[in-house]
Amino acid sequence: MLPLVAVLTIIAIKDGLEDYRKYKLDKQINNLVTKVYSRKEKKYVDRCWKDVTVGDFIRLSCNEVIPADMVLLFSTDPDGICHIETSGLDGESNLKQRQVVRGYTEQDSEVDPEKFSSRIECESPNNDLNRFRGFLEHSNKERVGLSKENLLLRGCTIRNTEAVMGIVVYAGHETKAMLNNSGPRYKRSNLERRANTDVLCCVLLLVIMCLTGALGHGIWLSRYENIPFFNIPEPDGHVISPVLGGFYMFWTMIILLQVLIPISLYVSIEIVKLGQIYFIQSDVDFYNEKMDSTVQCRALNITEDLGQIQYLFSDKTGTLTENKMVFRRCSVAGFDYCHEENAKRLESYQEAASEDEDSPDTPSGSLSNMAKPRAASCRMVRNGPLGSVSSDHLTGSCFALGSGEGASEVPHSRQAAFSSPMETDVVPDTRLLDKFSQITPQLFTPLDETIPDPPLETLYIIDFFIALAICNTVVVSAPNQPRQKIGLSSLHGMPIKSLEEIKSLFQRLSVRRSSSPSLASGKEPSSGVPNAFVSRLSLFSRMKPASPVEEEMSQTSKSPQGSGNSACPIETEKQDGNVGVTNGKVESLPGQPLASSLCYEAESPDEAALVYAARAYQCTLQSRTPEQVMVDFAALGPLTFQLLHILPFDSVRKRMSVVVRHPISNQVVVYTKGADSVIMELLSAASPDGPGLEKQQTMLREKTQQHLDAYTKRGLRTLCVAKRVMSDTEYAEWLRNHFLAETSIDNREELLLESAMRLENKLTLLGATGIEDRLQEGVPESIEALHKAGIKIWMLTGDKQETAVNIAYACKLLEPDDKLFILNTESKNACEMLMDTILKELQKKNPASPEQASSEALHQPPAAPDSGLRAGLIINGRTLEFALQESLQRQFLELAARCHAVVCCRATPLQKSEVVKLVRSHLRVMTLAIGDGANDVSMIQVADVGIGISGQEGMQAVMASDFAISQFKHLSKLLLVHGHWCYTRLSNMILYFFYKNVAYVNLLFWYQFFCGFSGTSMTDYWVLIFFNLLFTSAPPVIYGVLEKDVSAETLMRLPELYRNGQKSEAYLPLTFWITLLDAFYQSLVCFFVPYYTYQGSDIDIFTFGNPLNTAALFIILLHLVIESKSLTWIHMLVIVGSILSYFFFALVFGAMCVTCNPPSNPYWIMQEHMLDPVFYLVCVLTTCVALLPRFIYRVLQGSLFPSPILRAKHFDRLPAEERTEALKKWKEAGKMDQLTSKYSDHSAVKSERIPISDPSAVFAVMSATSCAVEQGNLSVCETALDSDYSENKASGMAGPSKD
Amino acid sequence: MKRISQDCQSGLPDNCAVKQQQLPAYRLQLSANKILSGFFATGVFCLGVGVILLLSAKTIKEVEINYTEKCANCAKLRENAANFDKECNCSIPFFLPETMKGNVYMYYKLYGFYQNLYRYILSRSNSQLVGTDVKDVRNCAPFKTSHNGIPIAPCGAIANSMFNDTIILSYNLNSSIHIKVPMIRSGITWWTDKYVKFQNPSFQNLSSAFAGTTKPPNWPKPVYELDEEDPGNNGFINDDFIVWMRTAAFPTFKKLYRRLHRIEHFTEGLPAGSYSFNITYNFPVNRFRGEKAVVLSTLTWSGGSSLFLGLAYVVTGAVTWLAFFSMLAVHLRLKERKTFFLQQ
Repeated sequence: MLPLVAVLTIIAIKDGLEDYRKYKLDKQINNLVTKVYSRKEKKYVDRCWKDVTVGDFIRLSCNEVIPADMVLLFSTDPDGICHIETSGLDGESNLKQRQVVRGYTEQDSEVDPEKFSSRIECESPNNDLNRFRGFLEHSNKERVGLSKENLLLRGCTIRNTEAVMGIVVYAGHETKAMLNNSGPRYKRSNLERRANTDVLCCVLLLVIMCLTGALGHGIWLSRYENIPFFNIPEPDGHVISPVLGGFYMFWTMIILLQVLIPISLYVSIEIVKLGQIYFIQSDVDFYNEKMDSTVQCRALNITEDLGQIQYLFSDKTGTLTENKMVFRRCSVAGFDYCHEENAKRLESYQEAASEDEDSPDTPSGSLSNMAKPRAASCRMVRNGPLGSVSSDHLTGSCFALGSGEGASEVPHSRQAAFSSPMETDVVPDTRLLDKFSQITPQLFTPLDETIPDPPLETLYIIDFFIALAICNTVVVSAPNQPRQKIGLSSLHGMPIKSLEEIKSLFQRLSVRRSSSPSLASGKEPSSGVPNAFVSRLSLFSRMKPASPVEEEMSQTSKSPQGSGNSACPIETEKQDGNVGVTNGKVESLPGQPLASSLCYEAESPDEAALVYAARAYQCTLQSRTPEQVMVDFAALGPLTFQLLHILPFDSVRKRMSVVVRHPISNQVVVYTKGADSVIMELLSAASPDGPGLEKQQTMLREKTQQHLDAYTKRGLRTLCVAKRVMSDTEYAEWLRNHFLAETSIDNREELLLESAMRLENKLTLLGATGIEDRLQEGVPESIEALHKAGIKIWMLTGDKQETAVNIAYACKLLEPDDKLFILNTESKNACEMLMDTILKELQKKNPASPEQASSEALHQPPAAPDSGLRAGLIINGRTLEFALQESLQRQFLELAARCHAVVCCRATPLQKSEVVKLVRSHLRVMTLAIGDGANDVSMIQVADVGIGISGQEGMQAVMASDFAISQFKHLSKLLLVHGHWCYTRLSNMILYFFYKNVAYVNLLFWYQFFCGFSGTSMTDYWVLIFFNLLFTSAPPVIYGVLEKDVSAETLMRLPELYRNGQKSEAYLPLTFWITLLDAFYQSLVCFFVPYYTYQGSDIDIFTFGNPLNTAALFIILLHLVIESKSLTWIHMLVIVGSILSYFFFALVFGAMCVTCNPPSNPYWIMQEHMLDPVFYLVCVLTTCVALLPRFIYRVLQGSLFPSPILRAKHFDRLPAEERTEALKKWKEAGKMDQLTSKYSDHSAVKSERIPISDPSAVFAVMSATSCAVEQGNLSVCETALDSDYSENKASGMAGPSKD
Repeated sequence: MKRISQDCQSGLPDNCAVKQQQLPAYRLQLSANKILSGFFATGVFCLGVGVILLLSAKTIKEVEINYTEKCANCAKLRENAANFDKECNCSIPFFLPETMKGNVYMYYKLYGFYQNLYRYILSRSNSQLVGTDVKDVRNCAPFKTSHNGIPIAPCGAIANSMFNDTIILSYNLNSSIHIKVPMIRSGITWWTDKYVKFQNPSFQNLSSAFAGTTKPPNWPKPVYELDEEDPGNNGFINDDFIVWMRTAAFPTFKKLYRRLHRIEHFTEGLPAGSYSFNITYNFPVNRFRGEKAVVLSTLTWSGGSSLFLGLAYVVTGAVTWLAFFSMLAVHLRLKERKTFFLQQ
């Protein structure tokens, strides 16, 4: 009873602590403060998140997190737009736009909650993040529809919008974010579940033993006709019948033998896990200097599950990638500029960045515009010829000043929300810069004159960078603008007005200063960071309230902000024109620092990367309004492009275009940027500039294609940039048609698409770019290792398919020669059919390599032959929805199980968790989910092991996780080393515990045969208790914590060893029974050797028990020594300590206890025995005989049939050099096996691969079956499926038509 | 800035051998040579010890005479409880072919007497036996008190069922001269039992010490009259009583009864010749289908006459050697293959 209470108490305390931690966190979130309108006080008051209710009006400022789902009623943005970052929900870190409800857009002033009298009706709370339906009914019964465009979701962050106001529609647990959160699951480790069943086996065994005892006692009793006088009658004098005696004996035996059920096992498991966690947490390899964090074990009871993972579900953004788009290389006019310096910079970035942060002398290092000294200096040199010599130095000093006042923290933290210095700083390529230096304004200024055309390449370069800078939807802002706005608003109470005032004021000033990038700087000086303009600004703000003139000047503020902004550049441009080119050059000096402090916020990070790249070549995007784009082009000075049209990006066209009027040539130019496959098709066959150029274009096209292929191979995201020059008439005609399309009501989408097609053709290729979505450090290596370890990796991401596949290749999740199957269907039937086809395809392949199938078939029924044919499956969110339906689940799982890697794109958080749940429950495998954002929370909770990456995207994932690491690469050590260790240790310890208990308790059981099954124990009661509690408890715990079967180094080098844990090899049911058998044998030896020795002698009960106990102690401890693969001084200490404590206890107890503890009375027994040689002889013999079989087995196993683990263990004993040699040999041997099989497969695949003659035909087939087998940049991996499609065309077409 | 650098280190775990699990470890994977030599040595050791044990067990002389059947008439008499006060004597002659040299011990041996039943062994009062409280009979059920409530001393089932045959060994020099073999009663118990665990209540007079108690129901005489010859051997410190109270581990057991007093004819031990046991037959064994015997035995350092330990050692040694040879064969074959592999 006592041990049970102790166990329960310890577990309760541990769980209580865990719950308390969660409670504190909940409280922290509940008590976050937001501004809620209070009707009583008629103003916005601070209120806790938990007090926000439906119907509340909430006002949020920039960078605040939205506390509840609310309908947007007001935004300070003049267009009624609010930018939000949804990374907390879906992991996409780009900005999304939300629209103020129609009808409220026009209001300039904030909606007054007092006057709000409309009624909002919306659908009941659900978990669909992409749908919101409802309407807002004004008091005059007029209804305005509400869509997801009007909804701000809880957990998102307001970005780039000064302030917004909304009314809460869903609060608390009804918010979509919370509904997507499936709630925590009580996790119980797999091993413990196995152990529990075996404990039940032990209970069964106990019952059997007790029944034997009861039966035996009954028979024993019935043997006597009259009652022997040593059998004591009941207190009342009569003697019980044998049946009743047997019945009583059953319960007596249960009490006697209950030690068989290892209750202490649970305590030991908990202690061992704590120890394991302690060691995991103190592993130096998990330490991340940058974040000053190491691994965090949040769940305390599933360490050993780390060693059994079979499926790994990973988030992409922030987990595999850093979510930092970095410009890597570009190809302009057929020349590849590989940006080696930039690449070097990126490589050295990690260390340098951390150095910067550490070094106290350069606090400016944390600012985006200050690259580390190395980069800055090299850029400085290169900038030399361009005139803006010391721009970086200027900035540097500026901000160094500011940071002196401790303000540097703020811009830095804000910076992190957008782009890190790694993305923003691009070191230009030297060759390209050389070519840039040829650009002079003279090339253009006398454009009408008949000076020979500038070299075509230079023109291309100019156009290329202009396209990079303007062909996008980037929003320009100063890094600390919103902060400033808040500060001002507190000053004046009317934030917008006053800001406009400043702007207009600054226009005047800028006229005086004739500074072109004044708009940007106008925001800059008002920042919290003091710089050169600060004094001037403070002057203005002091001036402002007093000057009525400013009110007049601020007339522009009444018009939309765009026009207000544009007023300035136009003006300044004129001046530039007047002053001349030299002025422009000079201006770039003070202008530059400001330009580089600009922030670009793009809908997709690629765009921002391109704009930053353009900026590095002095082609700086200065401002952007709906009508105009202003670019500061180094040699040409600021250029203002009149924005005629934007054809935004969509996934069908896979490109976007801007139509602008070129300020120099005054022509209408279309700049298009898009996926290479699409752009290449749209290039003009005949160049308008003559046949000579046509030839050049063809060459350029070929070259660029080569470059593109090279980029793709290196895992870069490629984009092509092209342009088209239109005549005014052409444009006018197109515009007319386009207008028609825009205004048409029927099939507007199609018409628009057509219209876009009309515009985007006859393009001239300018070049291509390669952008890297930077993987986190060590990700490909980790994934490779995990693959080798037999873990199947699924990537679940909310991102686009192209991006996801790209990353999958980059991080080696997919290999170039993998077969790729893409599930992308619009209907359930099509999905089913496609899966069928793929399955058949795969099944056809598998019998080809039966030897692998058989070797791998042990996993689970639909095992994938992962050493043979490698197949990858890509599935998108919509199709996933079909696949997750019950009717298709089985098929999907079978398919997925046959694939070596699976990528799910466009998956919602709930889908992620459903996928994990499906795999976990149906395939009965151990799953691990890893992610960093709030969108991964449900997945993390559902998986057997949830791992959070403490990254940039908040802490939700970490809070929900069982383990938190700082980088993905740590996962490999966590699983391969610690997982393996924890699993082997714990399973061996559990087995040992069963062994120990059975071996010891059986001694008591055997004795029953000699005492009439009367329940006598030949051991003293206290020794019986202490034997399990003291003498033999510490060694297994130490064993469970410190055992190291194979060294960490070897485990990392041979990920294959991980399979041992996946197959639960250390703890199979068979192992359990063998262990029990061994325990029975040992107990038999341990009992009967002393028995026969002392048989017929005058030994008494407890004197007989003493050698039994002593021998059992030695057997049990030495058994542990045989089983443990490594013994440190701690082991030795504990084992020797256990033995000594036993003897000490026995001797002291024997000396002190004269009358205590009836009936045993161990008085002087040990002392007596210590002087008896027979005692020693018995103990030695017993121990030897009991352990001999196991020892011989272990010895033979080591030399005759060593398991991989044993072989690896053997390596550890070799000296370092020999070990590497041996490892190499092993790996080669492994490869040989794989290669032979792979070759056969390769030939099979190759013969199957049918060259695709006409891609468009395939495309047609695909659209017919409404499933797209993507080619795109995956040209390497066209699958044999394509051919299947052409064969199955008829049936494919028939499929969808059925429904 | 120092603060920052310290902060940076705050999360860094200790890089010491214990925490990094890099402790130097002794790995139990022994080389073939070590294992083989280990097995060989163990075999030698076991065989050696086994032979020594066997040899020493051989030197032991033991005579066991089962007198259950031989005193059948007495046994019959004892079956009827009414005859408890009738004396029954029985003489069993036997011939000792060889001299039993050295110390000779006389045991009585019971077959099928379960002195190790759970409730039986519980039924005693240690505090009574140690002399602190004669009337403490708490654990002695069902023999706590007599019918009229007087506490029994010594109480409990063990004491009540005490072996009460009297065995006298006599040496028949010839058909007429019967010498009673001198036997010592003392020294047959553990020293600690006699002087620590069992104590009489501290009174001058033993009978007054036991005043207020009564004898166990099966006993003919109270505890302070157990040994009529030696008054110092009465009460709880009576040697026979102490020996009986040390409950035997198995249902078949022997208990030391007397040891040879080596004087006169018996300085060398028991000379060969004819002897007879004169037994006062009191202890009923037929009721539990038991048997009783009397044993004369010598002792060596290795205990009694059991050959088991020696045999077990020999067998273990043999098995170890067998394992040694088979492992040697395996090892040599593996080695051959390895070199073959390397030569390729």
